[in-house]
Parts: sequence; C-alpha cells; structure tokens
Amino acid sequence: MPVETAESEADPASTPEGDPVPDNGLRTSGMRDLGPDEMRRFRRVERAFLETAEARGYLEVRTPTIEPLHLYTAAGTLSPQLLDRVYSFLDWDGWSGERVVLRPDATVAVARWLTEHGLEGPQRLAYVQPVYRFVPGDGDREQWQCGVELFGVPAPEGDSELLLLARDLLAALGLEGLRCELAHAGLARVIFAAAGLDAVEQLEAYDRMLEGDAGIVDRLVEARPESASALRLLSDVDGNAAGYLANLRAALLPDLPAAEAPLADLEAVARTLDAAGLPYRVLPGTARNFEYYSGVTFRMFAGAEECLAGGRYDGLTETIGGTSAPASGFGADLLRLARLVPAGGAR
Amino acid sequence: MTRPIRVALPRGDLREPLAEQLRAAGFVAEGYGEGSRSYRFDVEDRPTVQVRVFSDADIPIQVALGQYDLGIASRTWTDELLVRYRHESIVPLRSLDLGSERLVVAGAPGTSIERLAAGGAVQVSTEYPNLAHHYLNRLRVPDYRLYDVWAQAEAWPPDDAELAIAAASAVEREGLEVLGDVHRGGVWLIGNRDALAERDLREALEPLLMLPRGDGESGLVVPPAIGGLRRAPSRATSERECFRIAVPDGHAQRHTVAALASAGIAFDGYEEGRTMRRPLSDLDGVEVKVMRPQDMPRAVALGRFDLAVTGRDWLEVHRTAFPAAPVVELCDLARSKYRLGAVVSEDLPVESIREAVAYWRRDDPSRPIRLASEYASLADDYARGRHLGRYRVIPISGASEGFVPEDAEILIEGAETGTTLRANRLRMIDVIMESTNCAIGAAERPVGRRGELRDEFVERLRAAALAAG
Repeated sequence: MPVETAESEADPASTPEGDPVPDNGLRTSGMRDLGPDEMRRFRRVERAFLETAEARGYLEVRTPTIEPLHLYTAAGTLSPQLLDRVYSFLDWDGWSGERVVLRPDATVAVARWLTEHGLEGPQRLAYVQPVYRFVPGDGDREQWQCGVELFGVPAPEGDSELLLLARDLLAALGLEGLRCELAHAGLARVIFAAAGLDAVEQLEAYDRMLEGDAGIVDRLVEARPESASALRLLSDVDGNAAGYLANLRAALLPDLPAAEAPLADLEAVARTLDAAGLPYRVLPGTARNFEYYSGVTFRMFAGAEECLAGGRYDGLTETIGGTSAPASGFGADLLRLARLVPAGGAR
Repeated sequence: MTRPIRVALPRGDLREPLAEQLRAAGFVAEGYGEGSRSYRFDVEDRPTVQVRVFSDADIPIQVALGQYDLGIASRTWTDELLVRYRHESIVPLRSLDLGSERLVVAGAPGTSIERLAAGGAVQVSTEYPNLAHHYLNRLRVPDYRLYDVWAQAEAWPPDDAELAIAAASAVEREGLEVLGDVHRGGVWLIGNRDALAERDLREALEPLLMLPRGDGESGLVVPPAIGGLRRAPSRATSERECFRIAVPDGHAQRHTVAALASAGIAFDGYEEGRTMRRPLSDLDGVEVKVMRPQDMPRAVALGRFDLAVTGRDWLEVHRTAFPAAPVVELCDLARSKYRLGAVVSEDLPVESIREAVAYWRRDDPSRPIRLASEYASLADDYARGRHLGRYRVIPISGASEGFVPEDAEILIEGAETGTTLRANRLRMIDVIMESTNCAIGAAERPVGRRGELRDEFVERLRAAALAAG
C-alpha cells in the first residue's frame, strides 16, 4: 500500500546514530547505506514482522524491482502526482515504446502477482521490499516497506482482521502507547458527490481536507446546507467512541442515505477496536492517494509517532486487468520502525 | 577573473524577431539577427556579457546545468525538462511577446481518445515524451506506448501510431484532427536558480527584463480525466499485407534518390527537390512513406516497415540503446560516407583520448568529462567503452560545433570531409565508426509476397551499389 505519510519526514542519509553523512559525490542523492548497526535493527524488525504475520497466515512474497509503467497508470492505482515521482525509463526493450519503473509501490505489484496466478478465495500475503520514488534533496528515495495484503475478505471482517494484526505487529516490536486514526474513503465520496464535486474536484477537496484546510468544509456546507451539521460533526469533532458514530449516523443519514454502508463499516471497526481496548479517533480522511481507496483507511501510532498506514481498495485487482476481489492492506516504512523500536524491543 | 555573464539565445525562426526586440532593449549582439554562422557573440557596451546561440531545445538544459546564467527559449522545451525534473534549477522569469506554437494531441479525423483508451494500449508519437507522459497520466489513459521520435511526430498517425503530440500547425498540415491542447506554448526568459541567487547579473538581466512582455496564455494544460476506464487487453492486429518502404527526407534524400535510381527504382513524389509524405510506387501492394532517418530503426523494429533507407549511424544509435531490437542492416548502399567520432578542441596538446582525459583532470582527478552529442546513446557507450570514469552526456539537438571547448570537453559528431570541424577549430581524435547509408529491415524475414519483395529490392540495391564501386 502506498505509504505516504512518513516519507516526507524521512531523514537524510544518516548513520544509525542519526549523524548526517557528508556528500562527497560518491553516493547518488537520496540513496543510503545501511551499516552493521542499522542492519541488525533492520533484520530484527523484519524477522518480528514476518514471524508475526506468518503466525496469522500471511505468507511472504517478493515481486520484481522493475515493473511495466502501465501497471501504475490506470486510474485507481497511483495518482498523477505520484506518477510524476516514479523512476521510469526505457530498458533494453524500450524500442517498443513501453517504459518500465523501479517498483514505486508494493501493493499494485502484489495484486498483479495474485491476478497472474489466478488465485481466488481469501489470500493472505506479506512482503518486505524497497519502493522507489523521487524525494527532493537527500530524503530517502529508496524506502524499505513491510506490509500485508488481504485479498478475498470483504469489509468489515477484513478491516477488523487487519487492524488487530497491525496492533499485534507493533506490539511484537515492543512499541507502546498504540492508537489508531480511522476514516472512510467511501464516506468522503458520498459527501463530495452530494456537494456536486466531480472526480477531479473530489481528489483536490480530499487533499485540502487532509491538510486541515477549513475553507473546503465551508465550501461544502455552502453547496449543501442541508448537510451542514453532519459536515461540521465530521470535520470539527474528533470522534473517539461508538457514540460519535451514532451521532454522525443521526446527522448524516436523513440527507444522505448512501452513507449507510460506509458508516456501518466504521461502526464495525470501532466495535473491534473497543473490544481490543485500542484507542481511536474518527477523522474525515487519513490517507493520500484518495482514488486508490474504497473503504476504511487507517493510520496507527505509537505515542506521537506514526508507524503504519493502510486501508481498503476493492477496485484494484479489476483495475489492473484481473477479476474483482475485495482487498485491503497496510504498509510501514521498515527503517522508520527500526528507529522507533526500543533496544531489545522486538520479540 | 570574474566569469562572464552567459546568455543562451535561440537560433531558428525566433532569431530575427528576438534580435529586433533585443536591439530596442539596448542588448545588441552584433550579427545575431543577421543569421551569422558564428555561435558566440559579444554584446555591445556590455563587456561582461557573452551570448551563445543554441537550438531552442538545448537552452533549458544548458541553463539548468548552470553553464548559462540566462536564456530565452520556448516554454514547451522548458516545461519538457521541468515536468520531469521539477527540482531542476531553472526559474522562468518572464513571458515574452514572441510567437510560439501550441502543442496539441491529434489523430486521424474521427478519432476519439476515449474510444482508443478503452480498447487497449494507445500508441502515441511525440518529440516531447515528458510532456506526453504528464498529459496522458492526467487524462488517466490506462495504458499507452510512447514513441519518442527525433522529429516529425505528426507523420506517424494514422498508419504508424494512433495519436501524435506535436505543434498545431504541423498536425494540421498532415490532415490530422486536433483532439486537445497539451501545451499553450510561449517564449520565456529563464534563469539559473543558483546564478540568480548568488551572482550580480544586472548587466544582462536589466535589458532582458525590458523585453516586451507576452500577454497570451502559455504553459502546461491539465486535461480533465477520462472517467471509468480500466486497462483493457491490447487490440488484436492482423498481419499486414502490403509491403511498406520508408525513405528519408532532409540531407539524406539526395543520396537515397540516387541510390534508388541506380537500382532502377523510382517513386512518384520522391525526387530531388520534390517530396510528398506518401510517394507512389508503380508496384502493386507497395506503400512508400517519407520520414526522418533517425526514427527508421525504431519504426522497422516495431514492424511498421519492411525496408527503410537510413544511415548506419542511426541504426547503431538505436542498437546501442536497445540491443534486443529486431532490426538489422540488409545491405550497404555505400553512399553518404562519413566518419563518426570523438571531437575535441584543435588547441588541445594531446594525441589520444586517453591523454586528453589526463589533461582535463590534471588539476582535479574527479572532474566529470562532458560529452555533447546528438547521438546520446553512442556517446554514453563511448564513455563507458573508453573508461572515462565520471562523465556526463549532454544530449543536444543541433548547433553542435559550438559546444567544445566551453560547454563540453568532447563532441561525438559526424564529419564528411572535416572542413566544418577545422573551421570551428576542432579535430576528430578518435573514430568510433564509418557510416554510409544502408537498407534496414526486420531481423526476421517476412513470409509470402512481402518476403519476396524484400529480397528483390535488396538484390537490386546491392547490385547497384556494387556496380557503383
């Protein structure tokens, strides 16, 4: 899944202790070495991640570093903005006009693997592999992602399974103070569509909402005054209990009956989190690359540190030429996790 | 000594109107407007300013590299660079009142991009691959193939590509239908970010900022996305029945007409001094098309032509970049002979490229060697093969003799007699290959009548070349 939130904060190439490595022209910008200390942390996190995932039935796959560009150009895979940052080039067969990319995202590649193998029914997969995207300056352009994909299990069961797995993975790494932020891409879509926004305007509005731009909510309220209370409830109140979702339901459904299914998804997930004792907040949105997601999206934190992000993207396999399948997953920046893990933390 | 303020100005159609405006603004590069063959000019009463003339397409690259502080270039070429390398160090400073064409997407009359996109991979020819990617990605075309051609992208549709992204007037001349705007054009004054941040450029900047401002729209077009499209399996293509030949225009046309004539082959509309896009052949089932020789190896590899007449240099350029491309030389036409090699300054006190590299690095062992060339893949191959160490290939599209020694150490260039090189105080220090024109075809001989026709054409061309000695 496109891990978007952590990379903008990626540290410049650094030693395990965080000291910047001077640029003497021998290393390509944005590429970094991992020394023995960092590799030891890396392997510890990788091992804990894969073992915990495997214990829940998530088996490891690995996809090629180079993929065809067209795998990522269809709507619902990577946004045009992300496509502007991929490493694309003409390889030895480039005379055909077909460009290739260094894998910019792991989920699409894993979905391609699943589609090509014609696998049906529930499939639980895990991966640890780098993705490549341009980042200005000396920020990490090679990012090691660890993540899981769950195909064939619809909402809300699949969402609940993933959230509990995410909690267990972070706990296995010794991380404490876990909490979750939830949103639903479908809910945002219902609201945007009711306000008369087309697909492109919805993308823009979603990004602005994520950036905390209050003006976008004012615009929506103006376009659809009858939904003002629901919009205010969604944007101005950070709900953190089932009661909040009940209030949202009361405010939203009379005007927008299409919000029923997204709200039911969120309520089911909230029940799971309540039962697991994991604190959460419900937000208007949590993940960039809006057009990719179809259902619940989430971010998980240890204290103030974001650890992983994910969500549901039921349209993906069909978009890349396969048959329709429910799909969801999450991913994390492995090196970021390695920095967060306390000494001797990973079990 | 302080480095001069370097300004890059375009040659070609922009030159005359721009020179007039520059003169009015008090920036007089004597000889620039008259089309002098010089590449470098002093500027009247501005002793710290130097002007160099480039092909329009090369100016943004030179300013981005910091080799030139300021430049005037069409916005399409600037955005072709910026849209992919958005953190490049170019700052667009001012839109100028100089005409420049808009870039459009076009296809055969009645074409619909939506319909094409719904039916599989869309084939698009263009000289602007980065702008094309930007446009097609925002249009959300699920699958496409880009043919980034050397020139005349508009000549490819409808038979050799479905769409072209090219200048509006060019696609209209070819009878194509404009389906949308890709770039609004414009000519801009641009500057190097670091130079603007650190150096006092007033002596050039003040008059250049007085040039009349352009008030028309310019820049990228962001098209509305086509909704609801998914990747579709590629269209099935049926086996082509007609035998297709590609012949070159430009400098190579005269030699090709002569080579064909000596083999007893003539096409109506392809003579010296007369060119139609699709000349006619007397033979049934034979189609002829005129295109740029640089693009022929790719067109043959794609299976668009059974036979094409091009230079061995262009075949080599293609095979260096794409060794697996299924295109081969069928016969040598033994005309248009010249050498291709590494060209350096005549004043360099060395006898070999190895000595030259040692000379350039005498003070700084890690200094990158700059190779400028229209043959970028050959230049890259040469640099690797000669173990140049740290090097940079600067792709250029013309005005090549002006690059060495100031803007590149090495020029990878062709020379027929060496007269032009000598006139520019250059010499070829290392020969990479000898090139003549040749007929090329698919690595696998076509079956049936197309195969027979190929054998017949090749035999006649080969016999004529042998007879001519």
